Amino acid sequence: MPDDSEEILKTRKFLKARLLRDYSTFRGHENEHDNIRQLLKRTAEMGESNSMLLIGPRGSGKTTLMNAVLTDLMKNKDFVQNTLIVYLNGNLHTDDRLALKSVTIQMQLENATDGKVFGSFAENLAFLLACLKAGNKRSKSVVFILDEFDLFCSHHNQTLLYNLFDVSQSAQAPICVLGITCRLDVIELLEKRVKSRFSHRQVFIFPNGEDFDAYIKLFGELLSIPSEKQLKEQSERVAGLKHLQSNELTFHRNHFQPSKYKFHKKYTESWNKHIAGLVKNASVTKALQAVFDFDISQAFLKSFIYRLVAHINNAAPMSAQITAESISQLAASYEIDDKVELLCGLSVLELCLVIAIKHHSEIYDRDPFNFEIIFSRFNKFAKVSSTMQGIERPVALKAFEHLRNMELLLPLTATTCKVQKEFEMHKMALTYTQINQTVQRYQALPTEVQQWSQSSII
Amino acid sequence: TRLAEGTPRRSIQLSSIVEKRVFNEDDIINTPKRTKARKSISIKSADHDGDDDYVPELSTPKKTPQKTPSKGKRSTTKSSTSDVSGTPKTPSQKLKMIRSGEIKPSLEKRGILAGSEKGKTDLQIARERLHVSVVPQSLPCREKEFDNIYTFLEGKIQDQCGGCMYVSGVPGTGKTATVTGVIRTLQEKVTDDELPPFDFLEINGMRLTEPRQAYVHIYRQLTGKTVSWEHAHSLLEKRFTTPAPRRVTTVLLVDELDILCNRRQDVVYNLLDWPTKAAARLVVITIANTMDLPERLLMGKVTSRLGLTRLTFQPYTHKQLQEIVTGRLNGSTAFKGDAVQLVARKVAAVSGDARRALDICRRATEIADAAASKPENSSKDSMQCVNMMHVQQALAEMIASAKVQAIKNCSRLEQIFLQAVAAEVTRTGVEETSFMGVYTQIETIAAFMGASTPTPGRALRICSKLGSERLLICEHSRNDIFQKILLNVSMDDIHYALKVNNTN
Repeated sequence: MPDDSEEILKTRKFLKARLLRDYSTFRGHENEHDNIRQLLKRTAEMGESNSMLLIGPRGSGKTTLMNAVLTDLMKNKDFVQNTLIVYLNGNLHTDDRLALKSVTIQMQLENATDGKVFGSFAENLAFLLACLKAGNKRSKSVVFILDEFDLFCSHHNQTLLYNLFDVSQSAQAPICVLGITCRLDVIELLEKRVKSRFSHRQVFIFPNGEDFDAYIKLFGELLSIPSEKQLKEQSERVAGLKHLQSNELTFHRNHFQPSKYKFHKKYTESWNKHIAGLVKNASVTKALQAVFDFDISQAFLKSFIYRLVAHINNAAPMSAQITAESISQLAASYEIDDKVELLCGLSVLELCLVIAIKHHSEIYDRDPFNFEIIFSRFNKFAKVSSTMQGIERPVALKAFEHLRNMELLLPLTATTCKVQKEFEMHKMALTYTQINQTVQRYQALPTEVQQWSQSSII
Repeated sequence: TRLAEGTPRRSIQLSSIVEKRVFNEDDIINTPKRTKARKSISIKSADHDGDDDYVPELSTPKKTPQKTPSKGKRSTTKSSTSDVSGTPKTPSQKLKMIRSGEIKPSLEKRGILAGSEKGKTDLQIARERLHVSVVPQSLPCREKEFDNIYTFLEGKIQDQCGGCMYVSGVPGTGKTATVTGVIRTLQEKVTDDELPPFDFLEINGMRLTEPRQAYVHIYRQLTGKTVSWEHAHSLLEKRFTTPAPRRVTTVLLVDELDILCNRRQDVVYNLLDWPTKAAARLVVITIANTMDLPERLLMGKVTSRLGLTRLTFQPYTHKQLQEIVTGRLNGSTAFKGDAVQLVARKVAAVSGDARRALDICRRATEIADAAASKPENSSKDSMQCVNMMHVQQALAEMIASAKVQAIKNCSRLEQIFLQAVAAEVTRTGVEETSFMGVYTQIETIAAFMGASTPTPGRALRICSKLGSERLLICEHSRNDIFQKILLNVSMDDIHYALKVNNTN
């Protein structure tokens, strides 16, 4: 079926693009969405000044919500004409000086030319404030989006925050300050005069932790192909994005374009049927439940699905593309302990040292150790063993250093005082369970070592 | 010795050659050399005397066309936004004009005018009136403080002597609004010729990047020019220390005084020392939050100069807050009386911050607006009005504690992790737990609940996720299983959220 295989390739491309680049589709939380949209709309239309904080755990879609609201508003011509959007990120704009330069450029003030700002930091601040003070209800509204808001709180004196909030609470140019952060206690980071000027509107975004059915439904939705009508609706939704002219806010540049994809009706139907069958499958539900138990965020689910989608290839028929087995396999791969994998790659000598460390830790209740202690313990075993005899001290030291470099052993203190290598004290960053699992899983481990690992008595 | 003598001579010769060439033959010399020479001159003069050199440079128009024609050509496209003058401007010229105050800072105007007054509903009008930025003509409940500052300032202006005053109070109690209100009243009196004229200057500590910029700001408000702080300082020193006939009184308002204090306290000292000079006729009003700032932070000599004329703004009581809000509403019926009272009582119990009360009221109008726009409600009560329920919702939103909600919306393993931390704290009795102890608790709890135990690596990921939300306070995961974990929520919150009763 040459036709079908082409469609399968197209499906993979479509699903990948939708997972990765659909920056502005936000599901659920209608109230919060409406709240922010109304706020921005009032700022743009009536010239009201406002401030708001958007708070939610990592991966809960705060930025996506922001993007979705902006996409909605971009259809509104009044909004496009009457607002300037200034985007700041706490990770990029690490101090007020940088942030201020960026603001000056994005607002296209007089002292900025071609992305270069003239004058000192103090002059820039004074000029920006003078500009904002000169504004009134007749001037354009400015929407400040502060991503990673909590990092702005650590700036010197919180000058930028004070001034932004102060402008929003005085009769100057209409601005809206919108902070996005994942810290729940962000308000406590604000100085009291900054806190007083902040309007205390907080919008919390929490992914719903109780609704597993919705999660399963979302899984099916993210994998299925929309109908032609839905595709058209979606492409209409993102059409307004071309009005967004911002150099800092870049989500619109490489956005997912649904209008580029077209599927045969018959193919779409059979694919969606296949996916619907998967969703009902008990083993799929079980695998997803394990994922859901660990992390309920949509971002995590998307990365999970992306790995599924990446395995689609056109050589196999459609029914063999995403199967219940591949899903449970993938979910199981999330449960694997990486450290055990790492330990399985060690040489027998290194594993013997780890076992010696384990014995030491068990006997002395996780007391710190150095090379000498471990080597003497290992030597006791090596003397009576048939395979480990004749291992020299430098070789063992090398193995010990290797363990240290892999950070399976952590030095007790970070000080670089002149302690000889052999006498430096360490602690072990492994649990006993992990070591036991390794001993069981290790390929071709000498029986002596296995027996020694069971008990320290030789 | 010959070499040592030789080198300076050669450099002198070189520089003289360059100068000669510049002045004699204009055409041959290429532009980079010339701009370099010019730049060095301007930098030198800027270092020596800050503002005087801008004027001559600007007043030499014959030089500007010579200067790098390519640059000027490029800047024509950009300067279309500025409507000061049609001449092409390079950025550095623009900067000079900004510094000399020739370019007025401006914002882009909006294309469409904001909505007219007529189409607005009662709620919208109320919301506009409740905005913090709409300061009323006379502040309610601050009459006594107003009189206090008024008599002080009026006396100082009429006696034509200098003085200091220190105003303190927690944020949002009407300090700055009252002082600017007094100044406005005094300025009205000046226009009626009932009072000798005076200058009013205003600086805010938080609007400065460093304390010394205060000189620059003061000087800019006097003349409109921006100069370096050293220069501004010497000019201000000259102005305030030398007696001049017909000097008018200057009132200087210093907001956020505590930011101006650095270790040396030279700026605060100067600002408070000038009023003591007979020639200055400077009246300084300082505003800060803490009542005991002069004793706590300032040096003895500065405290002594600050004097004992002080005024403290008390936080608003619930009655005063209610009066403020009803004063803003100005007889509008958008609010129910008991709704305002609820806001006032709730806010007064926490901080007595007027901004807070006004913001909550504004949020309540938004909620009422949203509720009225819904079809099922609009038929029931046609009169849009903010009632108790709306205020309740606004209060819940704005005095929010979302920790319980956050715990409820954690994933199952995250909830187990939180329970494990709580269990470890109860077991050891110490607040600070280590990851290893928590992990053993996780194993126990997971076995008890029949859930699969996460591997240590995944547990570390959960830990850092909870740490980023600040439900926990934890170290960097580099410390692996030895990192210390603190619980940032109360244990009762966890139990309440997870509905774990006293079963274990």
